[in-house]
Amino acid sequence: MGWEEKQVRGYLEFVQTAQRYHGRPIFALFCGDKDAAGKSWCPDCVTAEPVVRKELHNMPDESVFIYCLVGDRTYWKDPNNEFRKNLKLTGVPTLLKYGTPQKLVEEECFKAELVRMLFTED
Amino acid sequence: EAAKYEKKVMVLDFVMPTPLGNSWGLGGTCVNVGCIPKKLMHQAALLGQALQDSRKYGWQFTEEVKHNWMTMTESVQNYIGSLNWGYRVSLREKNVTYENAYGEFVGPHTVKATNKRGVEKLYTAERFLIATGERPRYLGIPGDKEYCISSDDLFSLPYCPGKTLVVGASYVALECAGFLAGLGLDVTVMVRSILLRGFDQDIANKIGEYMEEHGINFIREFVPIKVEQIEEGTPGRLKVTAKSTTGNQIIEGEYNTVLLAIGRDACTRKIGLDKVGVKINEKTGKIPVNDEEQTNVPYIYAVGDILQDKLELTPVAIQAGRLLVQRLYGGATSKCDYVNVPTTVFTPLEYGACGYSEETAVEKFGEENIEVYHSHFWPLEWTVPSRDNNKCYAKIICNIQDNERVIGFHVLGPNAGEITQGFAAAMKCGLTKEQLDSTIGIHPVCAEV
Repeated sequence: MGWEEKQVRGYLEFVQTAQRYHGRPIFALFCGDKDAAGKSWCPDCVTAEPVVRKELHNMPDESVFIYCLVGDRTYWKDPNNEFRKNLKLTGVPTLLKYGTPQKLVEEECFKAELVRMLFTED
Repeated sequence: EAAKYEKKVMVLDFVMPTPLGNSWGLGGTCVNVGCIPKKLMHQAALLGQALQDSRKYGWQFTEEVKHNWMTMTESVQNYIGSLNWGYRVSLREKNVTYENAYGEFVGPHTVKATNKRGVEKLYTAERFLIATGERPRYLGIPGDKEYCISSDDLFSLPYCPGKTLVVGASYVALECAGFLAGLGLDVTVMVRSILLRGFDQDIANKIGEYMEEHGINFIREFVPIKVEQIEEGTPGRLKVTAKSTTGNQIIEGEYNTVLLAIGRDACTRKIGLDKVGVKINEKTGKIPVNDEEQTNVPYIYAVGDILQDKLELTPVAIQAGRLLVQRLYGGATSKCDYVNVPTTVFTPLEYGACGYSEETAVEKFGEENIEVYHSHFWPLEWTVPSRDNNKCYAKIICNIQDNERVIGFHVLGPNAGEITQGFAAAMKCGLTKEQLDSTIGIHPVCAEV
């Protein structure tokens, strides 16, 4: 069947989408919001996104890739935002395999090999 | 470490599943089925005790406090999972090739790696380092592999073990018995002869006494001869038949879980060492090495629990491995110092030690040449909740002929590990009794004793 992508914005949408695909491998990339021109306020996210997208074909069949915009910079910097509190995210970009402790944070997302490892790890 | 020196490195890590089908990720015994989950579960038990004590300190709560095995196990396994992943990322970032495959020698400088799907690959290398560790030993009696569990299974057990029989008197057995009882389970320990072989026996007996006074049953001088299943389940019900070691008496008991902790065997028999001529001790399976961790085959090295006559501790293996690589590729000369390595047993009453036990000191130096200073103490924190007076204990063993140098340090009490670490450093510097006496104590802490 291959894989599919879902684009969401904000914590609530993310959780709803993840729940809907419960039972399938779910990978999520969290990035800062993009402006009207499509550029994120988070420079690392701008670097990481193409690297991650290039490796998506390595995800196992039936996977769901959730591309999640977390919010604007102020929201992100708030130490109590839901992503930090509930998903324990510490930085953007974060690429993780939902429901496991496997994740890559910030510069780790720039490395194609690490991204590939995350997608193909048993 | 080797990758730091720009060497091309590969790691072959494969876990043979337990008889019950259990396996785990990268990190070895300590991370997955040893020190890490053990300490976390020990902590869970200590917290239970703390909750009880807290009432005397004024905390008021009316509900009964209960323990949920699944919640604890899930948290512990989650943490271990993050460690496994961390190691994968770390190896990858340092360009170390990792294969989840079973490695064995097939010829000079050549290793065969078989993954879990049975696919084989051959690799050659300039040098090899064996660090395959050990696995729990089974009794070799009917029902042992089918119905008993070992420490390999305990820390990820998907159901609460219930009423448990722990067979063995090693630190693994006592630590597990200790935290299981601390979590509220009915625990019995079946001991063949003595407790904590190899450790100071005076202290070993105090540990046993403390555990007994705190509700852990001990059956001494018996060994199981048969384990049968009465009822299947998670947990099920098992019947254990045991025979006395001193006579013909037979006893029977019923338990939900039987945990075997009677020793560990080195994983050296099935890795093709004979194909490359590496000598092992046929009886124990351990590998003798020189003081540079080299086996009798010059390009093959070994570290860790599989070494003959060396301490089976994670930090020792790590240090030996690091120094080895620094000597091989970094031009360093330091060898691993196996003397005065501190260690701690995390039984309910923790025991920290560094250096000689009293028996070994007497044997080596002669009773007239050593002086033992000891003291019982009552931790301040235990006074308010009226916990045991006079159970905690500390002793040092000094060599009279060498300026009363401290050659053995033993402490039995809370946070023993934290206390011991500092004294180990002092002993490395040649601590003498006089220096110890002239060091003013921190008050009020246990360590001031």
